[in-house]
Amino acid sequence: MNKISIILLILITVAGCGNPIKNEEAKVVVEPGTAVTEKTQKAKSESSEIKTKATKTPVDKNDLYGYYVGYFEQDVEKEKDKKYLKNDIGINWNKENKINISIDEIQDTIVIGHSVVAGNDRPFKGTIVKSVSQKDGSDVYTFSVREPGDDRYDGEFNFRIENGRMIGKWEAYKNINIKKRKYNLEKTKFEYNPKIMLQRGSWYADWTNVSEEEITEDYGNGEFETYIEREFASSSPIIFSMNASSKLLDKDAVSNLTKGDLIIIRNTIYARHGYSFRNLPLRVFFDAQDWYIPVHADIRSDFTDIEKTNIELLLAYEEYASNYYDSYGR
Amino acid sequence: MIGFLDKRIGLKVGYYLLITYFSYLMILITIQYIPLELNVAFLKIKQEEIQLKHYQIAFFTHVYTSIIVHLAGITQFSGYLRKKFTALHRYLGFIYVVGVLFFASPSGLVMGYYANGGLIAQISFSVLAVLWFYFTLVATIAAKKKDWKTHQKHMLRSYALTLSAVTLRIFKWVISNTLELPPMDTYQVVSIAGWVVNLLVVEWYIRRFQRHRFRTSG
Repeated sequence: MNKISIILLILITVAGCGNPIKNEEAKVVVEPGTAVTEKTQKAKSESSEIKTKATKTPVDKNDLYGYYVGYFEQDVEKEKDKKYLKNDIGINWNKENKINISIDEIQDTIVIGHSVVAGNDRPFKGTIVKSVSQKDGSDVYTFSVREPGDDRYDGEFNFRIENGRMIGKWEAYKNINIKKRKYNLEKTKFEYNPKIMLQRGSWYADWTNVSEEEITEDYGNGEFETYIEREFASSSPIIFSMNASSKLLDKDAVSNLTKGDLIIIRNTIYARHGYSFRNLPLRVFFDAQDWYIPVHADIRSDFTDIEKTNIELLLAYEEYASNYYDSYGR
Repeated sequence: MIGFLDKRIGLKVGYYLLITYFSYLMILITIQYIPLELNVAFLKIKQEEIQLKHYQIAFFTHVYTSIIVHLAGITQFSGYLRKKFTALHRYLGFIYVVGVLFFASPSGLVMGYYANGGLIAQISFSVLAVLWFYFTLVATIAAKKKDWKTHQKHMLRSYALTLSAVTLRIFKWVISNTLELPPMDTYQVVSIAGWVVNLLVVEWYIRRFQRHRFRTSG
């Protein structure tokens, strides 16, 4: 009798928290820029525009055009001034994202471009000055460009491009959490490659252990966003071999995948298209991939038919896993 | 003797408390499918099958009648109700038998054929549906013949299989919260454990308690 009542009590207390048959709070992150739509035509992508314009400009300027990619580092006097995000199991994130600064057009001394970082695609405009390096006599281009200022995270870039590298600083107009940044970026070509796979990296192992954390997001449309993340708790090595961009997946392939596997396999599709993630764990995870470049904040019209079908399938299983995997119902 | 009775009362109280709670959960699960929708809960991962008309019929027949069968059976093993309210026992029994034999079990067999988790789960769920039908049928025929011993034994077995819906999900909940097996591996395990364990428990119960009951009452 006593044993039964104890078992009963335990069952009711444990299962009785919230809705026992379903995790109502579980959500599947689908960022607006990655929604699969039937519309295939958005305004033609910037890169092709750039190409047509590029042919009309002098060759040396043409060399400057393109993506400069690397980490957007904190610019602090002392190492201890750096800000970190720490979660409950002691993993630090240094609040540094991969940035892509793109030089799109140069007319005389006027330069137009944009930067993509943490899901934020911002234009800039400014001036360019050419000089010659004292050291080796190569050309040095010095830029001073400004973002429009209508976004909380807008600011001013000052950099130089020298031997294919962009080196410089950035300062926000507003008094945000991290006001000053520096960067040393490498000129990088972006090409969509459906075959590319995840590399095994140290960051990955760390983030797999993140079971739950509350994150105050430093980026977003001028707002602080709070996410409760319960993401990569259960990924397996299959994420390094299953490709949802090049092969049509069937039910048998995905039905035994854990939620963590499903999330990463789906989001790797977005990463291949150069999607810039707002979601922090995903961003940190994909930033650590050498091949990954944040190029677009909106990739809705870029998916292939294979990818569209796979995304739909993966999402169905992801939603089911989020809601039911560890709850009583199904 | 007193200790023995205590144990029986304890079992009864435990049974009614547990079944009430889990019936509530089963009702919550059923409510997900009202109004009838083809893209909710379990059906999210059954999108290929649910396009088939016969699977649709089987699935919704199973969902809507199984809960009725489950609820109808709860009080059927109460000797008190059986003796004092024989008509109620017969009425609920009628609902239970018709529900299992004509709706829940045949639809369960169709669903078993399309079960997730591969051949193991398909066979397991199909055998479950067939045994459920068999025990219920034998128990019903026995009742017609007033062979109460056979009736009771087989109804115990039948209801143990009815409750596999409850135990399967308990096993699933335990596995996914402890061993954290991948979803389909979990599903294969519970497709078998969910009803085999019930059957073992009820066989033990029949041997342990029913022998005593029939000796004293029969």
